[in-house]
Amino acid sequence: MKLWKKKEFEEVEYRPKTVREILTDMKDTSELIVDLAYAALLFNSREIADEVRLLEVEMDELKYQLQMTAMMAARDPEDAEKLAAVLQVANATEHISNAAADIVALLETPLEHRPVLFSILKEGDEIIAFVWVPKGRQRESLESLYEKGSSGLRVIAIKRGKRWIYDPEDDFTVRGGDGLVISGAENAIKQLKEYLGVRK
Amino acid sequence: MKDIDEKFLDLKEKASLMLDLAYSSLLYDNRVIAREVYNLEDEVDREHTELQRMAIEDAAEDGDIEKALVYVKLATALEVIADSAREISDIVLRDMDMHPIFQQSLRDSDTIITSAVVSEHSPTAGKKLMELRLPAEVGMWVIAVKRGKRWIYGPDGDFTLKTGDILIARGPTESEDEFVKLIGRKVEWEAPE
Repeated sequence: MKLWKKKEFEEVEYRPKTVREILTDMKDTSELIVDLAYAALLFNSREIADEVRLLEVEMDELKYQLQMTAMMAARDPEDAEKLAAVLQVANATEHISNAAADIVALLETPLEHRPVLFSILKEGDEIIAFVWVPKGRQRESLESLYEKGSSGLRVIAIKRGKRWIYDPEDDFTVRGGDGLVISGAENAIKQLKEYLGVRK
Repeated sequence: MKDIDEKFLDLKEKASLMLDLAYSSLLYDNRVIAREVYNLEDEVDREHTELQRMAIEDAAEDGDIEKALVYVKLATALEVIADSAREISDIVLRDMDMHPIFQQSLRDSDTIITSAVVSEHSPTAGKKLMELRLPAEVGMWVIAVKRGKRWIYGPDGDFTLKTGDILIARGPTESEDEFVKLIGRKVEWEAPE
């Protein structure tokens, strides 16, 4: 059974986390999930699509957590008004993650009927790209890649052998042979490719 | 690029600009930016309908209903994202009390919003955005510019910066200092009215 299926209707239990932490988490996830959804479509990847579904399920859970925490934090009408605004923003991020899940559902359409969306996802200001790190290249942290390569991009997923790593932390070490799924400015991606010594 | 794809690209960029603007309106408790999100949402609604029409027309021509459905669904997903941006700006327009958590949370986030004013001796004054290549060089995207009383949203590459312009930008936290230093100085936003 797929992980997201297993987690879909998991029991919701209160966890002691702050409103601030949960809201930040939801905002970050809503940004990552859209990029991953575009990547899934662009690379026709069911694995990335499953990660999108998992994140979507996690967003549902986060929303419940935030609702509980917000209710416990409200002491008077003024608090209630402020927290209602917080819940409104959280709801918006949750709607975004639903939209991302709807995007990956398009993978169900057979490839021959799927319009070529490359032009949509590979042009424009911010694009999604897949870059292979040349084999034999020395190990390097993402932080250093951003610093020396380009900071106008984010590695949203990494393919290592058969395994996928999603939303890697900055101290993650990239090796030769890794496949990087990148979201960022076209120029920035070009610059990173040059830094990595990727031809073309 | 086909007409329909071009329309899509436009819709996709508009939706992501709206989200950036929505978070900016929240961060600066700024009604002008929030209202722009609403205006853009009207445009997105119109474009969404236009896209659906184009997809259906295509299907009427080539008979590929599945393909048209993909376009229609994708357009709807983008519309939902644009709508979410509007939901965020709604708080600002309704004058709801701002929870300090917004400021903190938007600062903690992986990508942050920041602003800077183009100072007199800034090397960026008089330069076009595309010459500066800010996303590649510094890691920051300019999402809006305030010039005098006027706002410019999602400026193009050939937009020329002037002394006194206030830039709102999005990018990783680590890039903020470099960005502000390059442009000039930090902006002191007047206390929310």
